[in-house]
Amino acid sequence: MQLYGWEAALFYLLAIMTLFMGVFVVTARIAVHSALFLIATLVNVALLFILLRAEFVAGVQILVYVGGVMVLFLFVIMLVQTRAEEEARVQLYTKQTWPAVIIALLLAVSFYFAMSPAQTAFRPADAAATASTAAADTGERSESGAGYISSDTQKVGDALYRQAALPFEVASLLLLVAIVGAVLLARGTKQEKYYE
Amino acid sequence: MISSIIGAFPYAAQLLLQAQPQPFLKRFEPTLVNFLMLSFLLFVVGVAGVLSRRNIIIIFMSIELILNAVNLNLIAFSRYLQLNEAALKSKGLEISPLAGPVFTIFIIVVAAAEAAVGLGIVIAMFRNRETVSIDEIDLLKW
Repeated sequence: MQLYGWEAALFYLLAIMTLFMGVFVVTARIAVHSALFLIATLVNVALLFILLRAEFVAGVQILVYVGGVMVLFLFVIMLVQTRAEEEARVQLYTKQTWPAVIIALLLAVSFYFAMSPAQTAFRPADAAATASTAAADTGERSESGAGYISSDTQKVGDALYRQAALPFEVASLLLLVAIVGAVLLARGTKQEKYYE
Repeated sequence: MISSIIGAFPYAAQLLLQAQPQPFLKRFEPTLVNFLMLSFLLFVVGVAGVLSRRNIIIIFMSIELILNAVNLNLIAFSRYLQLNEAALKSKGLEISPLAGPVFTIFIIVVAAAEAAVGLGIVIAMFRNRETVSIDEIDLLKW
């Protein structure tokens, strides 16, 4: 699975931007800035999904994650006053910052050692494999480059409604429970007294 | 890992100058491993955020970073499986490449539900205690 030419440069650009935005999410002082950096990270990840030919998931990510979850975050940041952090009256980090950094570094080192024996397994083994991958890649395109419509959405939708139909229905039930739970948790007692 | 990120710049320069791909720069062409490295670096950034920030809303955002790292991992593997189906089938491995996007959609759904309920808890907690820093919500602490 090798990216060539401009796709490779785009991958590096998006990867560096994603990591920088992720670090800014964690280290921003103002909460709204943190939310905006997270929106930038999510959009970068959606672009990486498009680079990986998963257009349906990229669309779902922009619609649901950026358009739903991040707007919810921004509303809650509005309701919850974070002035004290912005005016530097309270600390940003817990007192366990150094153990957190050490644990994160240990996690990184352990991932690296877990993944490096697997690196050789992901290289194309022989010329036949690379030839078949090249054929599989170009076989999806239509004749005109600009009018290229991928069949990813159709395939994923097919899978969601056929093989994964039961998890699909369970996910809708989960969303119903989450909606009821969120409304129950966030409604205030002042409103109850008014209606009684 | 760091060298593969730094290797972007000579690669981009070579592309701009329309030179032939040098054997040295061929090493920096991204494969599946580069996507996995990006995914785990994002995961580590999210874990560091969860463990070290005081504001509970920032902690929730770091959890979303972790979930996105996992999504990236799944979609990268799905693309890899989609491209190498013939080679992997000859080795006896038959996983549908659609498992990646389908599972990713369920992860996004669960993340949205978790964010909704978690932020409801944050609002209820703020209404009671007038604070969102986790250091000051310590009634259960011994």
